[in-house]
Amino acid sequence: MAANSVNAEAVKDTRSKRTRRSRFSDQVAHGVFLVCAILIVAIIFGIFIFLGFNGLRMFQDPAAKNFFTSTNWAPTDDVPSYGALGFILGSVVTTLLSTIIVTPLAFAMALYMTEMAPRWVNTLLRPVLEVFTGMPSVVIGFLGLIVLVPWLTKLAAPIAPSAANAGVGWGAATVILVIMILPTVVSVSIDALNAVPESVREASLALGSTRWQMMKNAVLPAASAGLATAVVLGMTRAIGEALAVGMVLQGDTHLPDGPFSLGWFFQPNINITNAILNYFSEASGTERNGYFMLGFVLLIISFLFICLSRYIASRSVYK
Amino acid sequence: MSAQQQISTTQGTPEDRQRVDALQRLTRRLHVRNNIASAILAIATGLGALLFFVIIIKLLVDGVPYIINPNFYGADGTGVVGPQIFNTLYLLVFSEIILIPIALSAAIYLVEYARQGPLVTIIHFAAETLAGVPSLVLGLFGYLVFSSVLGFGLSRLSGILTLLCLNFPVALRLFEDALVSVAREQREGGLALGSSKWHMIRTVVLPSALPGIITGVVLSAGKVIAEAAALIFTVGSANPSNVYTLNPMISTDNLTIHIWFLKTVARSVRIRMFTRSIYDQY
Repeated sequence: MAANSVNAEAVKDTRSKRTRRSRFSDQVAHGVFLVCAILIVAIIFGIFIFLGFNGLRMFQDPAAKNFFTSTNWAPTDDVPSYGALGFILGSVVTTLLSTIIVTPLAFAMALYMTEMAPRWVNTLLRPVLEVFTGMPSVVIGFLGLIVLVPWLTKLAAPIAPSAANAGVGWGAATVILVIMILPTVVSVSIDALNAVPESVREASLALGSTRWQMMKNAVLPAASAGLATAVVLGMTRAIGEALAVGMVLQGDTHLPDGPFSLGWFFQPNINITNAILNYFSEASGTERNGYFMLGFVLLIISFLFICLSRYIASRSVYK
Repeated sequence: MSAQQQISTTQGTPEDRQRVDALQRLTRRLHVRNNIASAILAIATGLGALLFFVIIIKLLVDGVPYIINPNFYGADGTGVVGPQIFNTLYLLVFSEIILIPIALSAAIYLVEYARQGPLVTIIHFAAETLAGVPSLVLGLFGYLVFSSVLGFGLSRLSGILTLLCLNFPVALRLFEDALVSVAREQREGGLALGSSKWHMIRTVVLPSALPGIITGVVLSAGKVIAEAAALIFTVGSANPSNVYTLNPMISTDNLTIHIWFLKTVARSVRIRMFTRSIYDQY
């Protein structure tokens, strides 16, 4: 009897010990997981703080006042000038132009693949789209350099100021960006279109509309938020694209001479990422902070794009 | 159509006939429009697909002769990429070794522990923002923090840590999806047997979510292999004499940087000098 109760006591003791240990390990695990989750917030804050701090430090130099107003980037001159408007213009022009080309093409592909295509088209194209979404940008840039640029040189020689350089510049960069962002925009658009419930299509067809009317009047409006998100995501990718675009831009630090014309698209030209890639490594002082500032500008632009896409997505009906 | 025509011609007043004619015209017009639109969509898709296939075929035709040539993977000389492939694999393996536990932990926290609230919203927003940060900007950040402030210089370690920042949001989302797909009943079953939460996650959730987790690892691996812009200012673009070591403190390149480096030779001399000078400092 007495031995029994001692035994029970011991069992109870080990049990509670085990419970305590498992509860303790649970708490430790909880803490570790929390720290890892917070880490991602710390990283993004760190990016903003470090780049912002280093970038904004350039404005201590009075010569940097024209950063957003001048296109003259000449940090090594006797009277240095830090006008970055040319770089920003380059990024904005190539991004907008490629988005304008990609949007109708991507929507058409997504509509065809979700609404009309026979099954084999989807089984063939989906993996290709996935491959291209993850394609190294350098590969596209490399192909652009050895295939697209010689071809464009022949094609655009009459309108370019220098026939030998006609293949590089904003024109080639736009084509590269189109190839880079098309798969992303198509994939996200397909997801958006697939999220529209079948009942919407059936209702429209039952009212007697043709396939095209159904797509135009029922499916596209219903998926508009998702489609807009797709375009914004494509723009986010386009504005930050560095190596592929840099390989075919080949500009230095100046916009082409003369007034804006078609010829601007077919001669060596500049954008933000190209400037950072080429000149950041040997820069120092205010010039170096200038490249951090350019990076910060890129960061702010893509942050605004992300906020925009979140806002649009929050208004979408079907998810 | 022919039945309608018969009806309209055999019986009905002139107004009726007119109305039927108008309807027929409308139908025909709509059908023509439908066909035109369908054709345009099909042609656009065909053009896009053609573009992709031409690129793939071009890569295969020009690339396969080298891929099957063993000399291509040699250690040194011109036109060989042995060191670059080794570096790419090195960065891939070690960045995944760091990435998987951290991203998986964060995903477990978000799925299993966190209550819906401002913290989860902030974390998700941070992840989305980080996923949208251009990789070149991440490279600048990595240069500032890992190379300068933490003093790792241009090294594989800086590159691995930068790749962690780059891949964290992607892996987090994929891991979260994998964990969420585990059925609720399975979790409740585990908890009902009296296991603690962490024990339940280890023994019930993680094994069931394994396929999804592997998918996430593979996808993030693809991103590591493709990445170049984030690594140019953190890993460098030139190789020391012997890259076949596990030393994380040396500055190397990888395949993608190598391609970029070779195709921009005119300018790259400066960057090589920069790499060397930084490398000598440490």
